[in-house]
Amino acid sequence: MLQAHSILWHYLWLAPHILQLALAAALIHRGMRRLFPLFLAYLLYEAVEEFTLYAMDVLPSVTWETFWRAFCVGLTIESLLKFALLGELFSHLVRPWPAVARLGNRLVSGTGAVLVLLATLAAAYTAIDNPQHAIISRAHVLEQTLYIIQAGLILFLFLFATYFRLSWDHRTFGILLGFGILSCEHMASWALAANGFLFERRQLLDFLDTTTYHVCVLIWFYYLLIPGKNPTTSAAPLPEHNLAGWNRELERLLQQ
Amino acid sequence: MTLAIVLVIAAILSLVLIVAAAASRSLQLSGSANLTAQIQPIDIEAFRNLINMADDEFLRVSLAPRQFREVRRARLRAVAAYVLQAGRNAALLVRIGQAALASNDLRTQQAAQELINNALLLRRNAAFALLRIYSALAWPNSGLAAAGIADRYEHLSGSAMLLGRLQNPAVPVRLAARSR
Repeated sequence: MLQAHSILWHYLWLAPHILQLALAAALIHRGMRRLFPLFLAYLLYEAVEEFTLYAMDVLPSVTWETFWRAFCVGLTIESLLKFALLGELFSHLVRPWPAVARLGNRLVSGTGAVLVLLATLAAAYTAIDNPQHAIISRAHVLEQTLYIIQAGLILFLFLFATYFRLSWDHRTFGILLGFGILSCEHMASWALAANGFLFERRQLLDFLDTTTYHVCVLIWFYYLLIPGKNPTTSAAPLPEHNLAGWNRELERLLQQ
Repeated sequence: MTLAIVLVIAAILSLVLIVAAAASRSLQLSGSANLTAQIQPIDIEAFRNLINMADDEFLRVSLAPRQFREVRRARLRAVAAYVLQAGRNAALLVRIGQAALASNDLRTQQAAQELINNALLLRRNAAFALLRIYSALAWPNSGLAAAGIADRYEHLSGSAMLLGRLQNPAVPVRLAARSR
């Protein structure tokens, strides 16, 4: 069952991207294309990219070298789109709050620069796991590099919002949660692949990646198409704290 | 091989943190009915006294260097406790303000907006101040500029009072334990 080109393998490669197209259609139908234009572009691009790669994989006329070159080009464009999308999600979070918007932008830029440096160092120390098919190894290292940066940036966005107690919009949160899970799993998976783990059973990592992607698409469906509940925090006024007595005692203590 | 293991561990830790952040968001949405009770008023004057440079200077000339360092460290730890509490209060006020944004009253919304911005600014300043305080704990002879926190906190207190008055004019609202 967990073999390349099994029914499950075909399903997991194609189904999430069919669902992505359905989600894109639903977003357009509900007039949400202007709310998350880059996410919509990502959904469409990713589906087209994966259908193309799938066709290239099953067509016997396409050589493995051509497949992996197309894979690298597609991955680079996809990653640029994802980084732009992360910027869009971050602006959704901080735009209403000028007190932290500027600091947030600086921190995101700084974190991005540090992550690029770390990912480059990791790439430099990653040995070529498959010297006979160097382009495959390079593709794995490229994946590892891009997912280190993505996972790091997404983690930063979550920590930033948590520290400042900024509330995510239901949909923004769902998109970012999906990308967060996806990036962390892909980072681990491609790190294993790039460093030669499971060399003979690489398809297991493919199954893990595609299953995770499927779950993330379902998360996006849930958060984007099902309305979120409103916060139940009561808007009661702040109570008065009677600390005058405590203060008097402290002042007396200080004057002794 | 080692690199792969490091990256896998980093990925798992990141995933745990992201899921924890997601879970805390859900808790924030469902279980934050009594936020105001969690706010601990802070005595601004006591805080001002602690960060008074003149007092520090007096202690510096009065005490032996070793004694001065001990006293200064103790004062700095107290300042850190105040700043931490101010930061916690600011975090609670952000959440209270965000809840108040849902109000139908335009003035309440504006007051909530101002409260959140001030609270975010305080939280930001508190983070920077803590960095400086902890570095000053390592080098007690260095200067410390945390006075801005006190001013910001008083400003924030004013915003919270305005919001509280708009939401419930009958109940007085106070953030600082004592105002000037």
